[in-house]
Amino acid sequence: MQVNGQLALTVLMGIFLVAVAAWLARIENWRSYTPLAGGGGAFGQSEGYVSKEKPAGLIRWLTTVDHKDIGILYGAFALVSFAVGGLMVVLMRVELADPGMTLISNTFYNSLLTSHGITMLFLFGTPIIAAFSNYFVPLLVDADDMAFPRINAIAFWLLPPAALLIWAGFFPIPDVIPAQTAWTMYTPLSGGVGNGNQMNAGVDLMLLGLHLSGVSATMGAINFIATIFTERAEEVTWANLDIFSWTILTQSGLILFAFPLLGSAILMLLLDRNFGTAFFINGGDPILWQHLFWFFGHPEVYILVLPPMGIVSYVLPRFSGRRLFGFKFVVYSTLAIGVLSFGVWAHHMFATGIDPRLRASFMAVSLAIAIPSAVKTFNWITTMWNGNVRLTTPMLYCIGFVSNFIIGGVTGVFLASIPIDLVLHDTYYVVGHFHYIVMGAIAFAGFAGIYYWFPIYTGRMYQQTLGKAHFWLSMVGTNVTFFAMILLGYGGMPRRYATYLPEFATLHQVATLGALILLVGQIIFVWNFVQSWLEGPVVEDGDPWNLKDEGLYTAEWQWYDRKIKTALADGGEEEEALTDGGQPAVESDDSN
Amino acid sequence: MANEIFDRDTILDLTVNIIPLGIIAFFVVGFAVFPAFGFDPLTTAVQYGLLIVPFVFLAILTYLSGKAIAGDEQRSAVYLQGQATVEDTKTLEEYEEAAERAAAESDDETPELTESEKA
Repeated sequence: MQVNGQLALTVLMGIFLVAVAAWLARIENWRSYTPLAGGGGAFGQSEGYVSKEKPAGLIRWLTTVDHKDIGILYGAFALVSFAVGGLMVVLMRVELADPGMTLISNTFYNSLLTSHGITMLFLFGTPIIAAFSNYFVPLLVDADDMAFPRINAIAFWLLPPAALLIWAGFFPIPDVIPAQTAWTMYTPLSGGVGNGNQMNAGVDLMLLGLHLSGVSATMGAINFIATIFTERAEEVTWANLDIFSWTILTQSGLILFAFPLLGSAILMLLLDRNFGTAFFINGGDPILWQHLFWFFGHPEVYILVLPPMGIVSYVLPRFSGRRLFGFKFVVYSTLAIGVLSFGVWAHHMFATGIDPRLRASFMAVSLAIAIPSAVKTFNWITTMWNGNVRLTTPMLYCIGFVSNFIIGGVTGVFLASIPIDLVLHDTYYVVGHFHYIVMGAIAFAGFAGIYYWFPIYTGRMYQQTLGKAHFWLSMVGTNVTFFAMILLGYGGMPRRYATYLPEFATLHQVATLGALILLVGQIIFVWNFVQSWLEGPVVEDGDPWNLKDEGLYTAEWQWYDRKIKTALADGGEEEEALTDGGQPAVESDDSN
Repeated sequence: MANEIFDRDTILDLTVNIIPLGIIAFFVVGFAVFPAFGFDPLTTAVQYGLLIVPFVFLAILTYLSGKAIAGDEQRSAVYLQGQATVEDTKTLEEYEEAAERAAAESDDETPELTESEKA
């Protein structure tokens, strides 16, 4: 009787599956998925599976496989994540204005600390770069679209669920609390040893979310490698590939080797936590986690910083009135950074007690990797030297990038030295150092790109005064906050703590003041961004930055120019755009 | 070695990667001459491996990328970055010729500036 029941259920399920398959076959043109005939093929874009006219409204954004739309989706996602991660840290900094536990509990502080790091690195940093690369790499290499448009869409759509999993602990779900492992998820803490808070399912959900974001990044990376290798126009030879595409290619290579390793390590940790395996805990080796994590983690630093360097190398010469000094130096040094970034991981582990011979080798490669970064810095400075510098908002952000990158970079070289690292390890010095890079450099380059290409993706111009206010508040806020952290580190203030000794109060309050200045700046940015997108003056010129005058006009603006000229007029009159670069007031800012 | 590709200019471009290679080589020799922490077969092998593996990979990638970029420079026209598909654009060679002509005509232009433009 029971067997018959099971049999009936099996048959029923079989019929159901056949019905689903039949239905799917009816609604979808499966032939378009064959490699030579659709959006997935290297040669076959002409089959025209993608409909000529996009659907309207929300459906457009949910179904799009257009690289430009996906770029905008990535950008919107990244900016929302930036707001979430930013508000988290504002709460933390306000808590730190006072030495004791005042505003929030210590455990909630730990939760915010963990989520701030993961949000900013994986849900803001990687996606904001993907926003630019999706939108502009196909335009710059003259490809019709990405090599695999559907994979491109899937890669993006994995991110929102990843974000929900990472933030799951903050939602009102019974018995689930946020992870408090810090973004490095060091074992045995993250293994849930001792039945403390870290046994909670919130940590598992965060790990799964992180894994999902890694799958997304890997899919995107494969797509970029395929696009740049196979979809370039004939004229875009390796010698003509622009610097931004070079950095995206290198970054994609790094992602391809680094993220699958993070995924494996996360699965091992999940197995340790839930199935009693012994990779890192239960008798396993906690240091193994650090090796695996940092073998991913250090390339991740360059995954995040190389494309912003590409943006700066691309944008900075446009407002210096000359081409990039030593273009090929920058290309080769980008590739060198890519390779060497896999050979420095244990400089994060100098204080763990690993063999001094191994430490010495990691120190040597860490010192060597400083050279390519320094070369780039000199190239940017030399590009501006004696140039016709126009201090537009994107240019200000590029200069801010170089300035902050020098401080972040030089403080990093000190940390590469073992004896200095042993003194400064786990202090605010490290926090100050890497925030000069992630906020002062990476986010600044992101803003440079957002302002520089604003006319292309919105068709409008932003408000210049607000743009400059945003820059100066960000620049002052960044330096006040993170320089105070460097000084705190010299004083011996350990990182990650929600409370501290009263002797550190003044510098902590300075850092909090800086964070609030940053907050004001970002509020201005949001206002400027949204209002200008909706109501800003329409840009009717395909060369809003006057790049043609100096022979620095590039492919993406030509594409934009064609788009304006071939657009159907919809009536209505708009105020004519006055670009940042075209302003007489800006001319007076020019050096020489 | 394809010497027609790896000419003087290309080698000059590649110095940017040769310097980190030199630093790593310096430490390999340094650790061999002053083995401050003694010798242990496994650990010392890993110690040198950590230097030699990145060295070899960097050398290979530098060679391959140099060959690809310098080779394409010889095979087809070179444009400024992002301008290859722009209509009516000038090639790098045309820019350089124009710059040299301008420098020859005007005494205001300092020689250092044209040198830096060349790189």
